Amino acid sequence: MVIFRDIANTNNLRIPQLPSPADDRMLQRAPIAPRGPRNSSPSVRSRGGIQKRNKAGGPVRVDRDGDLVMDATAAGDKRRSGKGRLEGPASSRGAGRGRGGPSRGANFGAAKTPQAIVRGLETRQANILESRITTGSTTLQIDGLSSSKAASNPDGGVESLLAFLERKASGPDRNVKIKKSHKKGDSVFVTASSEDIAEIQKLDGFTFAGATLGIQARDSPSSASRPDKFGDKRKDEVSSNAMEIKERLKGVLAARYNGDLKLLNLSALAQDPGLREMGVFNGTTTTSKIFPALMVVCGGLFKTRQEKQDAIVSVTLADNDLADVSDVTALAQTFPDLQHLDLSRNRLAQMSNFDAWGAKFKHLSTLILTGNPIETQLATLKSDIMKKYPYLEILNGIQIRTPEEVAAALETAKSPIPIAGPDFRDVGQVGENFIRQFVVLYDTDRSALLANFYDAQSVHSLSVNQNAPRGHKNSAPIAPWAPYIKQSRNLVKINNLPTQMTRLHRGSQAIEKLWSALPATRHPDIQTLGDKYLIECHALPGLADPTGQSVRGVDGLIITMHGEFEEQSESPGRALRSFSRTFVLGPGAPGGQPIRVVSDMLALRAWGPLAVPKLPLNPQANTTIITTEQQKQEAMAMQLVERTGMTPQYSALCLTETGWDLEKAFMAFTANKDKLPADAFITNAAR
Amino acid sequence: MTDVSENTEVKVAVEAADIFVNSYYKTWNKENGGRELAQFYVKVNPESPLKPDITINGNIVEDPTDLDGLHRSQPSKTHYEVEAFDCQVVNTNFTVGAPEALLEGNSAGKKMSILVMVSGSVKYPDAEETRGFVDNVLLVPNWDITKKNEKEKKKWLVQSQTFRLVL
Repeated sequence: MVIFRDIANTNNLRIPQLPSPADDRMLQRAPIAPRGPRNSSPSVRSRGGIQKRNKAGGPVRVDRDGDLVMDATAAGDKRRSGKGRLEGPASSRGAGRGRGGPSRGANFGAAKTPQAIVRGLETRQANILESRITTGSTTLQIDGLSSSKAASNPDGGVESLLAFLERKASGPDRNVKIKKSHKKGDSVFVTASSEDIAEIQKLDGFTFAGATLGIQARDSPSSASRPDKFGDKRKDEVSSNAMEIKERLKGVLAARYNGDLKLLNLSALAQDPGLREMGVFNGTTTTSKIFPALMVVCGGLFKTRQEKQDAIVSVTLADNDLADVSDVTALAQTFPDLQHLDLSRNRLAQMSNFDAWGAKFKHLSTLILTGNPIETQLATLKSDIMKKYPYLEILNGIQIRTPEEVAAALETAKSPIPIAGPDFRDVGQVGENFIRQFVVLYDTDRSALLANFYDAQSVHSLSVNQNAPRGHKNSAPIAPWAPYIKQSRNLVKINNLPTQMTRLHRGSQAIEKLWSALPATRHPDIQTLGDKYLIECHALPGLADPTGQSVRGVDGLIITMHGEFEEQSESPGRALRSFSRTFVLGPGAPGGQPIRVVSDMLALRAWGPLAVPKLPLNPQANTTIITTEQQKQEAMAMQLVERTGMTPQYSALCLTETGWDLEKAFMAFTANKDKLPADAFITNAAR
Repeated sequence: MTDVSENTEVKVAVEAADIFVNSYYKTWNKENGGRELAQFYVKVNPESPLKPDITINGNIVEDPTDLDGLHRSQPSKTHYEVEAFDCQVVNTNFTVGAPEALLEGNSAGKKMSILVMVSGSVKYPDAEETRGFVDNVLLVPNWDITKKNEKEKKKWLVQSQTFRLVL
């Protein structure tokens, strides 16, 4: 093993320390501080006002199903199938816009349309009701865009959404056109002909770019008067019959809502005097007819899902003679975030009776099944029920999960692979010292940074991820990418070899030229704001030996730093960016710096809060591997110190070079001790 | 020391990175992809100086075959999406674990180590928020490639990986 000699040949591994005394544990375990979103107010990207639709394509494309078309797969596949792909996957939007075609109405199944519901309510009035209720307004309010993937588009995703609506609402014989649109708060308002509006309204509940759309008829929000929550200003056009039914249903709901408990009591509907008076239970019309209508009216009372979630957390459906939940399917669409559900005294007998709700009510915390035939089997069905409702805490008054278990389950849903603290396996503090200098010098003196660590063979490149998610509560504006985009070597987009070559910067001179053109930055102080960073590193084998002596190469270190920096820009306000930066460090060439940067890759994305490690239920659990590994290594290094008289730093280096095998390390030491510099030994340091 | 032209170097590296990026995350997305994941990595072999070094969200994964367990812990329909990647050649003449016969010479960039940095997102079906990830991978030559098996085996294998959710 001659590798150790190569690192040792660098003569002086000590790196000038920064003035502040280094807390050497700091980089190993960054302080954990939960950080809330920077700004939880709803995002307002467009400044109101009616805008004509922008005909230019947005940067995020949406396919026929409203899913985002990611350039990665699209570009990758194209690149292999043909040579020299044409530029700009982002500039062209999918064809077929304006024609619905075969996919139209495909996923209607679950959500009954308001028309159908009202039709079922009172067959004789079907025609009148259908046309009046749904086309009374020519403006629709569309919610859900802000939680879709398209929300990160520069225009907030409006353009993609409109294209989606037009395409989905159009049919073989109807070309739906949105006349006007504007964004206000989290909602988008669209105006179209009454026929088109009816088609668009059918898309309520469709999924667009990962978000469920809520579509409701509205008066234009610019109109000052809003006579009731339904926004049916044009009362004269709405038949008094339809209005009356709606008003009565609203009355029924109002009587059954308890605001203090946030409870909607839908028990014993068949006995409801209001509903009986309306005659809805006469003849064949039963709960299966009235219930969806109630849900539609109820859903219409809320502008956003959040509003609904805040107003109603509990629903009771007790005493409704339900043999299964198919008559009350609509509950799942209207209250997907329900926490407490009482189904007492129905006829539910087995798990399959819940099938109509599918995988809905994921957030259910309490479920009451008292007085149902299924009650006797709960002991055996418990695990099935727990699986179906992953956060269910109380079943029939019995605690089946502790709040801690529910919290842990929620955490697991967010990241099934637990997020542990940084895995920082440094070698002789080389990584720590480098990072400490890097964050300071990159902000203050890039030339000095280059002189200290970069040489003629160092390679640097940067890439911009313009599609990175940023959290739906994060509405911080995205600073323009212009200063970086011309140098971005995002290979998802850059498929042309000459460009790939020119955006790879080799040697300190070339890198300096690039850096001097990049905006000035300010990184958070790593000493006091350690929680803004996550830094990991470990040894990396097989770097080119700068002395050319070792055929098998030398060992180095790979460091990855995740964090943020502030950019100095001419526009007012703070321009924050999130970044990740990866370095490969190796021993320097003879006569050069002791440590050189072999590779430096910078990845930029819009600012988003850094995912910090979560404290596990048992705080020791997830750190054990690392701690024991570290302790083992520290102990081994101390043994080598005792046997060789080398400094702990050199001992650690020697051990790393020999794969943490004490005997091999000792042999490597014996073979090379004559060539080691004087300061490799403790006695020397004492002199 | 270098007998690979920079042109070839970049071309081979980008191709290797591209193939990796376009197949690796699809395997994570696959319902039963867990067992296939180990194929992307150098094998754990006490005889070989070339050892995988894998860290996922700060957790050290000792053996690539253990990734199957992590894959299983993800709900089905978990979806990883690559949004950007970049790559650099770290060593044009990487020889750790190479058979003696391959120590000399370096034809057409077959012996490089390549650093790939990937930036993307992952949607876990039970979570509301799409999360962002950054993955760093060192690709090294698969020394087990022979004329016979070159069609079915991967040319490049992961030696080092540092994956982390960053949002």
